[in-house]
Amino acid sequence: MTATTAPEAALGVLPRADGSAKYSHAGYTVTASVSGPIEAQRRDEHAYEAHVDVVVRPAAGVGGTRERHLESILQSTLAQIILIKNFPRSLIQIVLQVEDSPENDYVNTKLVQASLNFAIMPALIQTAVLALLSAGVPMRATLTATAVAMAHRDGAKKTIVDPTPRDIETAQSVHVFAFTSRDELLLAESEGDFTVEEWDDVCETAKKVCCHSAPAKEGMAMVLDDEDVGGPDMRQFLRSTMKSKVDADLHWK
Amino acid sequence: MPREAEPSLNEKQFVTQALQENLRLDGREFDQYRPIELNFGDQHGVADVTLGKTRVLAKATAEVTVPYTDRPLDGIFTIATELSPMTSPSFEVNRPTETEVLLSRLLEKTVRRSGALDTESLCLVAGEKCWSVRVDVHVLAHDGNLMDAACLAVVAALRHFRKPDTSMAGGVLTVYTPAEREPVPLSWLHSPFCVTWSFFGEDEGEMAVLDATWLEEQVRVGSCTVSLNKHGEICQIAKLGGTPVDAVALLQCTSVALTKVKEFSDLVDRRLAEDLKRRDKGGFMAELRAENDR
Repeated sequence: MTATTAPEAALGVLPRADGSAKYSHAGYTVTASVSGPIEAQRRDEHAYEAHVDVVVRPAAGVGGTRERHLESILQSTLAQIILIKNFPRSLIQIVLQVEDSPENDYVNTKLVQASLNFAIMPALIQTAVLALLSAGVPMRATLTATAVAMAHRDGAKKTIVDPTPRDIETAQSVHVFAFTSRDELLLAESEGDFTVEEWDDVCETAKKVCCHSAPAKEGMAMVLDDEDVGGPDMRQFLRSTMKSKVDADLHWK
Repeated sequence: MPREAEPSLNEKQFVTQALQENLRLDGREFDQYRPIELNFGDQHGVADVTLGKTRVLAKATAEVTVPYTDRPLDGIFTIATELSPMTSPSFEVNRPTETEVLLSRLLEKTVRRSGALDTESLCLVAGEKCWSVRVDVHVLAHDGNLMDAACLAVVAALRHFRKPDTSMAGGVLTVYTPAEREPVPLSWLHSPFCVTWSFFGEDEGEMAVLDATWLEEQVRVGSCTVSLNKHGEICQIAKLGGTPVDAVALLQCTSVALTKVKEFSDLVDRRLAEDLKRRDKGGFMAELRAENDR
């Protein structure tokens, strides 16, 4: 089916969780719930900080090693931005439920053993950050993430922002980057063959997508820049989503 | 994990007393459901059911596997239910609770054992290759009456689902990708739905209430799940523990259940037709179709 190009998000979609968000972008739809800070189990309890528990659940099939790997990456990333030292001996639980992921029409997928791929990571990170914001968990900074694929097309190198499964299959390398709201690189995961120069190029492209934030009044320039980068302006998106949520919540004032 | 907080004694008494005065906390009639919403995803086989604040997502998938040796002519059909901490932090990953076991057991009895899906049609090569159809039920939010919502989601997902087309030529099995051939629907025989009654009061089934909320479920003295299709064929009745209920009251319950099931059936049919219309925009698919109208 058609993949949405502009990211979409809704906050507070689940009535019983402390915070929740539904996010869809580039064919991926993820719902996240955040509970916390809640009582931690004895084995997860840290004396000086909160335990961040991330659970990734695939849409179909049982989770395997791939999901555990994604969980461990997300766990260490999110523990960096959440102020975990503020909540000793407690638990912040983030559950990410994948609802939809784009399918490759050219292969029959094995589905009973779920296989989440690398390119889902930006969607997972973005949903988790939105849910954390919705739950009001104190954070050092927000995150914006993107996936970039590097492909050789007609002898020339080409970077593809938000690659489709088909792009990933034919790409030389796939990279996932996450930047904090202070333009610091927090997460860089790569897969495939690439040189240092190529990585620099890809990182630059990702930085443009994640960190480029035009002031609202220069709307025209922003649109033009977007075409230049070939991806959506993630930080602006995060800001506007939160703004509309806050506006809706405070409409009575 | 923190335990689910039980309602206080005051709350419990308030709910029961209100019911004795023919009132429900949300102002519904005793035999009235909360508004039901059924949505299909972009992919085939994804159904999202919202029943008040309860929300269940079901996703159907299929792959080719080897059939069980004792049933060489049947395909494999499984329903997987796993309640995640998203439903409530009291649920743990990989540790099934009683709610989860009961839910999967009832879904199994309602959809699988009633023969809603023709498993023989899933066989490709006897004893060697068959389709394995799997439905994953994800409970996103739990505000009572999980059973009815989950059953509706599973049935809707399976009826919406399309599996890849296959062909047999000279002993060679070909499974076509969606790009090569349009996927085909499953062979579906009937649509069973669950209707759950909750009983309140000291007397035998004094008050019977449909579509209980989470608070009402915590207060009730017994419950009974009836599964039937729109033709009134009962697939199963489950009355697990609780106070005894008068036989006549139970008969009354099943007859009301039939009218509710007809409504569910109409809802699924209508939403499926709407979804088909949405996908078939411009009638381009009709043009590409190789079938002839006979």
